[in-house]
Amino acid sequence: MSQPIDNLEEAVARLHVASKSSSAYESGPRKVVGKSAERLDAVEKATGETKYGQDLFDKKFLFAKVLRAAHPHAEILRIDTREAKKLPGVVAVITHSDVTGTNMHGLIRRDQEVLCSRKVRYLGDALAVVVAKTEEIAIEALGRIKVDYKPLPNILTMEDALKPDAPKIHTEGNVLGEKHLRRGDAPAAMREADVVVEDIIQTQTVDHAFLDLEAGRARYDGKMLTIEVAGQWLHEERRLIALAIGLPLEQLRLIQPATGGAFGGREDISIQIYLSLAALKLKGKTICLRYSRSESMVARHKRHPMRVHYKLGAKKDGTLVAAQVTFYVDKGAYASTGIAAMRKASSHATGPYKVPNVWADVIGVFTNNNPCGAMRGFGAVQTAIAYEGLMDRLAVKLGMDKAELRMKNLIHSGDAVTTGQIVPNATGVECFEAVLKKIDWKNRSYETAAPHLKRGYGVSVICFGLGYGDGFPDASRARCKLTADGMVEVYSSGIDVGQGLINMIAQIVAEEVGVPLERVRPILADTQLTPESGSTSATRQTYFTGSAVQLAASELKKQLQDIAAAHLEELVYEIKIDNGEAYNVFRPERRLTLRELAREGKRRGFSLEAMGVYKPPTVPEDTATGQSMRAFVTYLFGSHACQVLVDTETGEVKVERYIACHDVGKAINPDQVIGQIQGGVTQGIGMVLMEEVVMKDGKIMNPGFTDYILPTIRDVPEIECIVLENPDPGGPFGARGVGEPPLIACGPAVMSAIQDAIGKPIRILPATPERVWRTISEK
Amino acid sequence: MKKARKKTVAANGGSLWPLRFTLNGKKVSAKVQPTQTLLDFLRIEMGLTGTKGACLEGECGSCYVLVDGRPMNSCLMLAPQAQDRTVTTIEGFAHNKKLDVIQQKFVECGAVQCGYCTPGLIVAAKALLTENPHPTREEFLVGMEGNICRCTGYNKILRACELAADEMGLKKK
Repeated sequence: MSQPIDNLEEAVARLHVASKSSSAYESGPRKVVGKSAERLDAVEKATGETKYGQDLFDKKFLFAKVLRAAHPHAEILRIDTREAKKLPGVVAVITHSDVTGTNMHGLIRRDQEVLCSRKVRYLGDALAVVVAKTEEIAIEALGRIKVDYKPLPNILTMEDALKPDAPKIHTEGNVLGEKHLRRGDAPAAMREADVVVEDIIQTQTVDHAFLDLEAGRARYDGKMLTIEVAGQWLHEERRLIALAIGLPLEQLRLIQPATGGAFGGREDISIQIYLSLAALKLKGKTICLRYSRSESMVARHKRHPMRVHYKLGAKKDGTLVAAQVTFYVDKGAYASTGIAAMRKASSHATGPYKVPNVWADVIGVFTNNNPCGAMRGFGAVQTAIAYEGLMDRLAVKLGMDKAELRMKNLIHSGDAVTTGQIVPNATGVECFEAVLKKIDWKNRSYETAAPHLKRGYGVSVICFGLGYGDGFPDASRARCKLTADGMVEVYSSGIDVGQGLINMIAQIVAEEVGVPLERVRPILADTQLTPESGSTSATRQTYFTGSAVQLAASELKKQLQDIAAAHLEELVYEIKIDNGEAYNVFRPERRLTLRELAREGKRRGFSLEAMGVYKPPTVPEDTATGQSMRAFVTYLFGSHACQVLVDTETGEVKVERYIACHDVGKAINPDQVIGQIQGGVTQGIGMVLMEEVVMKDGKIMNPGFTDYILPTIRDVPEIECIVLENPDPGGPFGARGVGEPPLIACGPAVMSAIQDAIGKPIRILPATPERVWRTISEK
Repeated sequence: MKKARKKTVAANGGSLWPLRFTLNGKKVSAKVQPTQTLLDFLRIEMGLTGTKGACLEGECGSCYVLVDGRPMNSCLMLAPQAQDRTVTTIEGFAHNKKLDVIQQKFVECGAVQCGYCTPGLIVAAKALLTENPHPTREEFLVGMEGNICRCTGYNKILRACELAADEMGLKKK
């Protein structure tokens, strides 16, 4: 029933693309798109010139520090700042009573107080901001603030939170919300299945561990409050700050300094809001604030730990018939983006597999642990580990090759995913075939140097819905402009967190307008200068902002063609712009340079500016069934294969070989696509083998890199990348995106290989040596 | 010859120590708080912000500087410990806008993403290749395992270092 409308959507998307290309005589090979141009900011990064948040500090500025909660769950009886204010060098101590706005923030639900007034819900909750002449004095002053608490029982597990008599963390209770998916009759189909496997998989709390700690500065001159802090969605942060501190939007300017990684960790607002309070209070002063590593880990949201109850039923020949899945999601203390991550879990419950009957339920439970929110893979990482884990168990039970089982059940173009959305271009099979061929699946060898060393092979196939989906407004805007000096400037609020957005944008503009890459000047992420481009998350920037940029560039090009046609007295549709020069294709000897085009355009009254907006629609999922004809704008497919060696005496797992294949639609910059794949895989290896935020009594026991173990160069093998390019009708030059899928596909592949090596599944993540050793030793 | 250190009183009541050392080829004398880390001293007092702090406990190598040619975690070193030493930061690598070979290879190989770990990695690679111009793969891993990179997956970093070694080897011949 949904198919004709879905086709209509695709047709609309195709029209979008058709309208993006700008000239009748533009054909031939791409000159900039598809080339591995060097990162435009690489040299200044390699020489240390690049300024990140903390590089904007100066001794003459004031320094702020934040007072955190002393209990994970307590009522605040009194906050006494008098002693702190008396300390020489202290300039201001700010508490909730100084906040003139709503004092509330939160990305989806505004449920978090900026400075707590009545209650604290986790140890990262903030109570006061001290501003002093030096950081040392500010730290000392924090110790002089007296807070009287009435401790409440700490709720540290989902079981405790769900007890009927459990104290309520939020007034409305301890359940953030639920998501449901109903496709067919899963219980009935399960009863009729020939084979059923069932298991519980528990994923852990993971930290983003970006290297560039939260740091930045702010200043209020009485007219404008300027905040220079790295975020992931400046315009949303501006809205949140405006509401929380009670300053009109027009008086807030957010500027993104260079950003040392984000991975979702800068999606929730952090120091921006404290800095804005301090700056507002101390007009004319520049205030600096930086977190230490431990403060960063204690304050920031995390990846949701999920407990997934998964039941999968199949026929004797391996054909999947039913899946019943329940996700218990530890939300921690606040909502953050949790409800969206929960929805990602339900809508990806069976991944790229064709399962006619699926029932999935997701429940998000508040605890007094760290709030959980966005992190690369956003609800889909945990889900993929679960469904791929169950596919492995099913293969064992059926006595079937796990690759064959997957191949049999993968969706093909025209099939529907769990949400009922038809995927017109499903390339999971192609990706999977590519990795199986590369690893030589049929001839894999289990021979090792010693009997205690066991080899294993793992595979995974994933699909991932790009963008926000679910009918949530999802738009990117960009502006292109030709300057008098013949540069094409492109303005966008997309953020380069390291992934390479700067090149993605510049290469699309260069290709579309027909200029060399060095004639493009990207101007990014400053709310005063750049139009809103949505968040830098959800693998959406290439698809959304890339498209907006292409549309703007195309519009600008049309102007330039008009100018050239008028000046050269030629027909406009015969004007080609190539390598920064405009000419008639049949009379190429008379040419106009970009500088001349700018001059002539100005003389003739052209704006020399164009805007591009890209806002493809999605359809909200039905709240009862989770079904939607267009839950996401498009789907990404990928497949990984790996080979591991397990030392059964120590439980250590070594990843010996790794192959990753992703269909990215079109690699705007192939080298950067490979960088994203290799980086994502490395974070995946970190997640499944070593990374875990250890919580005890609501406290993080390992808030630093000494005990929060991250992968080093030793833990990562050569990651062999296969990049497929089946163009997407809605993306710029056919591009989709690549940010999250490599991390999503990695976890299940490594887990699959460990199970292959030791003959048992690991149910709790991460698969540390101890856990692997214990699993082997269990009878 | 080491001279006895004279103490002066700092604005905050603590004492300041005199410090003389060579920084990026130039002699420097300064007064420092004895508790200040070399990292903070370089960044705040000398304005050399290319050296980055990330874990601040000697685990990630972002703050590496060369001290007498050896890579040192400047977050763990106190500024007075640089007395009479030769310190080279990332700012001392490129000369007249000409990049060091290692920097050049990092740029060419796409080994730079967010760039926050990059200065520390380049310092580590420099120390390794100065001491051992032809490292084996294993020696590279030993030399670089003190650096955390959260973006790249290390493959391109290793490639950049190996290419830099090749090029430096060619130049010597």
